[in-house]
Amino acid sequence: MSQAQATPFVDSLLQAAAQTPLPSSGIDWLDTARRENLDAFAASGLPDTRVEAWKYTALRALGQRRFVLGDAQAAARAVDAAVFALPGVDGPALVFVNGVFRADLSCLDTLPAGLTLSPLSQALQGDAEPLRFALSRHYREGGDAFARLNAALAGDGVVLRVAAGAKVVAPVHLVFVGAPAEDDIAWHVRHVIELGEEAALSLVEHHVAVGKHQHLGTQVADIVLRKGARLTHVTLQDAGEGSTLVRHDSVQLDAQAQASLYVLELGGSLVRHDLHATLAGDQSRLETRGVFALDGRQHVDTQMAIRHQALNTASDSVWRGVADGRSRGVIRGAIVVAPGADGSDASLSSKNLLLSGQAEIDTKPELEIYADEVKAAHGATVGQLDERSLFYLRSRGIPLAEARSMLTAAFCRAVFESLPNAALREHIDHRLMEHLPSA
Amino acid sequence: MTTETTDRNELSATLRDNAEVAAVLGRRYEAGFVTDIETDSLPPGLSEDIIRQLSALKQEPEWMTEWRLQAYRHWLTMPEPHWAKLNIGAIDFQAISYYASPKNKPKSLDEVDPKLLETYDKLGVPLHERARLAGVAVDAVFDSVSVGTTFRKELADVGVIFCSMSEAIREYPELVRKYLGSVVPVGDNYFAALNSAVFSDGSFVFIPKGVRCPMELSTYFRINAGHTGQFERTLIVCEDSAYVSYLEGCTAPMRDENQLHAAVVELVALEKAQIKYSTVQNWYPGDEEGRGGIYNFVTKRGDCRGDDSKISWTQVETGSAITWKYPSCVLRGDRSVGEFYSVALTHHRQQADTGTKMIHIGKGTKSKIVSKGISAGRSSNSYRGLVKVEKGAEGARNYTQCDSLLIGKKCGAHTFPYMEVKNPSAIVEHEATTSKISDDQLFYCRSRGIGEEDAVSLIVDGFCKQVFRELPMEFAVEAKKLLEVSLEGAVG
Repeated sequence: MSQAQATPFVDSLLQAAAQTPLPSSGIDWLDTARRENLDAFAASGLPDTRVEAWKYTALRALGQRRFVLGDAQAAARAVDAAVFALPGVDGPALVFVNGVFRADLSCLDTLPAGLTLSPLSQALQGDAEPLRFALSRHYREGGDAFARLNAALAGDGVVLRVAAGAKVVAPVHLVFVGAPAEDDIAWHVRHVIELGEEAALSLVEHHVAVGKHQHLGTQVADIVLRKGARLTHVTLQDAGEGSTLVRHDSVQLDAQAQASLYVLELGGSLVRHDLHATLAGDQSRLETRGVFALDGRQHVDTQMAIRHQALNTASDSVWRGVADGRSRGVIRGAIVVAPGADGSDASLSSKNLLLSGQAEIDTKPELEIYADEVKAAHGATVGQLDERSLFYLRSRGIPLAEARSMLTAAFCRAVFESLPNAALREHIDHRLMEHLPSA
Repeated sequence: MTTETTDRNELSATLRDNAEVAAVLGRRYEAGFVTDIETDSLPPGLSEDIIRQLSALKQEPEWMTEWRLQAYRHWLTMPEPHWAKLNIGAIDFQAISYYASPKNKPKSLDEVDPKLLETYDKLGVPLHERARLAGVAVDAVFDSVSVGTTFRKELADVGVIFCSMSEAIREYPELVRKYLGSVVPVGDNYFAALNSAVFSDGSFVFIPKGVRCPMELSTYFRINAGHTGQFERTLIVCEDSAYVSYLEGCTAPMRDENQLHAAVVELVALEKAQIKYSTVQNWYPGDEEGRGGIYNFVTKRGDCRGDDSKISWTQVETGSAITWKYPSCVLRGDRSVGEFYSVALTHHRQQADTGTKMIHIGKGTKSKIVSKGISAGRSSNSYRGLVKVEKGAEGARNYTQCDSLLIGKKCGAHTFPYMEVKNPSAIVEHEATTSKISDDQLFYCRSRGIGEEDAVSLIVDGFCKQVFRELPMEFAVEAKKLLEVSLEGAVG
């Protein structure tokens, strides 16, 4: 413990926290929650690889780095809106640069009926009480250091509500831009998202970079779907080359709610994504789809835990990973069927391509089953491109490099087939093609 | 020499003499003779002195004593592991006596728990074996003993060494020294370290170059195997192109006074050697509420040291209150092969956390894992496995299949497979399913006049077929019966 406190990382952030008061402090319960989470972070420091959830992601190098808390100049950073423009995504947009809300880049003028959308900093100035439950959370697991840090230091984020019965058709665009700064910055955003009964929402979470930087971003999101609500959530992670990004999503589905989560991990040097979904209501359904395509020295770690705790729930997860260069891809997919969750139907497939002798893939699909009326299955593979398919393409005059990238793209593409937004799907395919190794 | 060491030497000598005397007397006056417990057992507790005494009692050479002490010192620095999905009551290591000839033996079958006898009946255990299995202290001459001696001669003719570990340490010290701890080092894990410090006995098998062991070896046939002790140590070495099939345990439930069993099994396969290791474990699982019952914490590891070698583990685990074992293969030699076939059944409040590790190091190495878990009652059954492909393991191949079957609403079945791949030419595949016995299958059987319990055991048998096929024939027949008996009362 005392050793953890001594790392430059913890040191720099604790010092910064002591010096800079957070925005919207003055709300008693929020200040208390922030202080307690900071104390918990200070006591635990960063987890080491002996903590099971961090077994494959060493934070030693990160622990040696120092960060500046927040970007005071964020409002002045030049960001071209073209960087984050996405085809098929033309709804309201909320843009953050280095974790700071930028009204000038955002588009909140014409919100569709039933949608409440504002940055957290503004929401807290109004009636903060509805946010109390989410923002007073404590993170007690040994590996939750970043969630603690976020709970202690996040000054902004997204508060999104869809009223009962409202259908928000045009996708809401949440953009997080990393921009170069004088120092390495640590920014923290906190989202609270709630879909009322029978509400529908399409959401695009988008991480991009302008220029080279080595910032650390943390994001914690609480997403709740009330009875019969429907959510399509696409995450396009195209963060800066040298950046560190840690995301922690908790999704709760009440009865008959349905969520489809799509994740494409392309950028970042050290990326961690915790996705905890709870099928809390009867007949709720969850679909997760994800791809990571890595090269260079990238390290992407996805930790997914899906908990079935109601009757007749279903979850279906399809993940594909490609690791080239000296990269390392980690994916854990745990399915838990709680006692009494009869009628659960859970499946998970994690297929991975290892394209280089210096790359590594670690996959850990898990099943924890406590009920007997269940169907649960998972499959995981690590391998390489099929020689016969390659031969087939080459025999038709396609050069090896091209044949390889065609097959790799095909391997990943199936994941996004069910994405209803055709224009966005096409863009994702295109981004993936660009990103995949061609040699 | 200090007075302290002199004292200790004297003490060891006295203990040794007493032990021998007691053993001899014990044989002659079994019926009425009451042994003084102090003479043939050590007081409870664990310390360097206790280990020295134990080593002296077993007349071990100096290097062995030192080896044990080294393990003990390492053990002291280790924390008790808690990562397994098991709920283990606190173990008081100081309350255990680390060398004790079995005490409080029932004097005849009449004193044995009638439930146990009933089980023997169902399993069809021959009458003369029941007493032995129940741990009755009668000195009858069993068939197996005489059979054992005949076997020994046949084995000696081809150069196979098959004896108890204590005997091996005395008779073949250079072999033991060369291989003991070379697969599972003394400080490997908490329970392996403990075992290395205090192991009581076990089997030693050595198959010389080019020899195909003419029969299946089994602890069951070994002379003096009556009570192998709670800290068993087994070492099997197969030289180039040799082959052995080894059977451990037996299907009938073993009564045992000891709660904690921490065994270590080491297999070494040199070039083109093949070792097949089959286990049927059916120790006392405790009563319906889980009281009593054995803690079975075992470290089993095989080292395919030579090219083209093969190690195959097959296990049927139905007993013990808590099972914690991962028979593993280190595939060091090029083109070496590792296999793991397992059926683990838990009922009532049993807990099992079992699986395997396949470490691919050599080129063209292959491994196959087939694991079948069955949970019933309020039990918990986990598969935990690791498939690791190192950078140099060009063309490595793994296939893993683990299926779980749930019988009842209050049990748990879990799967925790780890896959770590560092070589791009490797292919690693894992598949797992969890389900209950399908109503359709049950209905089909029942509509053909098969009773519910029989139908369930028929389906379970089918579920496990893939593993049973790997067992030696007579074992397979017994294993099937064993599952039937173990599942009794699980349905309806």
